[in-house]
Amino acid sequence: MKRIPLSMTSDLLHAYVDGQLSAAQIAEVEAYLANTPDARALVEGWRRQNEAITAIFAPVAGEAVPPRLSVRQIDRDVASHRAHRLRNWAAAIVLVLIGSAVGWTGRDYLTPVEAAPDRLIEEAVNAHTLYVREKTHAVEVPAGAPNLMTWLSNRIAVAFDAPDLSAHGYRFIGGRLLPGYGGDAAQGPAAQLMYENDSNQRLTLYVTAPLPDKKEVWEFKTVGPAEAYYWANDAVTCTIVASLPEAEVRLLGKAVFEQLTRRPDSTWNRNG
Amino acid sequence: MQFLDEIETHVPALRRYARALTRDTDRADDLVQDCLERAIRKQALWQPTGSLKSWLFRILLNLYRNELRTNRRRGEHVAVDTLLVEPSIAPAQPGRIALAEMSRAIDLLNVEQKEALLLVVLDGMSYAEAADALSIPIGTLMSRLGRARAALRTAVGGGTEEPRLRSVK
Repeated sequence: MKRIPLSMTSDLLHAYVDGQLSAAQIAEVEAYLANTPDARALVEGWRRQNEAITAIFAPVAGEAVPPRLSVRQIDRDVASHRAHRLRNWAAAIVLVLIGSAVGWTGRDYLTPVEAAPDRLIEEAVNAHTLYVREKTHAVEVPAGAPNLMTWLSNRIAVAFDAPDLSAHGYRFIGGRLLPGYGGDAAQGPAAQLMYENDSNQRLTLYVTAPLPDKKEVWEFKTVGPAEAYYWANDAVTCTIVASLPEAEVRLLGKAVFEQLTRRPDSTWNRNG
Repeated sequence: MQFLDEIETHVPALRRYARALTRDTDRADDLVQDCLERAIRKQALWQPTGSLKSWLFRILLNLYRNELRTNRRRGEHVAVDTLLVEPSIAPAQPGRIALAEMSRAIDLLNVEQKEALLLVVLDGMSYAEAADALSIPIGTLMSRLGRARAALRTAVGGGTEEPRLRSVK
C-alpha cells in the first residue's frame, strides 16, 4: 500500500470525486482506493452526494431564461440609465450655473433694503426724540430769525413755509437742518421744524424733498412713546412726530398737509 | 459585444447556483439580474486575464452575502422554499440518496460550506476558479468542502439504510 500523506489523501480524494485530476493522478488515486476499502466507501458516498446535488439543481440550467435576465436588455438599460444620469448631471450643472448667475446679477435686488418711508420715519422719530428734550438748544435757528425758511427751503430743495398750527394751540419755535440718511437710497438733507403748545408739549415736522418715485403714500406708525404720521407725494415728504393721541396727530397732519402742499381739502386722504 | 455574448453563456449556470443557494426562484433571479447589471456596469473592471466565469460568480456571491447580512440585520427570517424538484422519482437504485433528504440536508449546511460545495459540484469549476469566485484560498476551499461532505454524510448517510443521525446545528 502506498503511503500518501493524510491531508494529501483527503484533498486528492475530493479532487478525484470532483474531476479535478490529471490522468496520472487519477491512476494514482485509483490504485490507492483499490487497496483501501474505507477510502473507497468514503469516495463512493461523496460521488452519490454529487449525483444527488446535480439531480436536484441541474434542471434549473435547462429552464428558459426569463426576459428580465436578457443580457442585451440589461446592457441597454444600463446604457440608457447611464445616459439618463449623465443628462441629469448636465441639467444639474446648468441649473447651478444659471442659479449662480441669477444670484450674482440679482444680489442688489435680493438684499433687503429698508423701504424709504420707513427710513424717513425712523430718522424723524430719532431727531424728534433727540431735540424735543433740549431746553435752550431745542432749535438751531429760532422762529423769528430772518431767512430761516428761505435757508431751509434752499437746503432741502423744497420751497415751503412753516405751517401755522396756532389753531391747534401750537406755536412755531424754530427749526434746524439735519443730514439725510446715507446708504444706497441716499436721501438729501431734512428740515426739522419744532412747535410747542402752552403746556410745553412739543411736536416736530420732518420735511424732505420728494422721493424719486414721487408716489403718494400715507403711513401712521407708533414708535415707542411717539406717534409718527408720514405722508409723501410728488412735492414733499413730511413726518409729523408727537407724543399725542393718534386722532390728534391725524388732525394736525391734515392741517400740515393742506399748508405744505397748498392743496384743497378734497385731496386729503381721509383714510390715511 | 463579445463580452456580452460570453456573459450570456454563463446565465443558466448563475441561475442554477443562485437557486441552489436561495431555494427561491424570484430571489435567485433577482440576484442574477443584479449580478448581470453590475457586471455590465463594471465591465471595465474585469481583467481579461482572469476567468470571466469566476468573476461573475464572485459578483453573485457578494450580492448574496450582502443580502444575507441585510436580512440578518433586519431580523427577517429567510424563508426556505419548498423543494425545487419533488422527489417523485424514488431512489431507483439501492444506494441512491433520496433527493428530498439531500435537499433538506443542503439547507442545514452552514452558508460557507454550502457556497463552496454547490459551486464545485454544480458548476464544475476548477478548485482554483472556485476559490477565486469565493475569494478564499484553495486550502480554505478544501476544508469547507471536506466539512460540507462530512455534514451531508451525517445527515443523509452514504445512501445506506442504516439509521441516520441528523446533524444538529
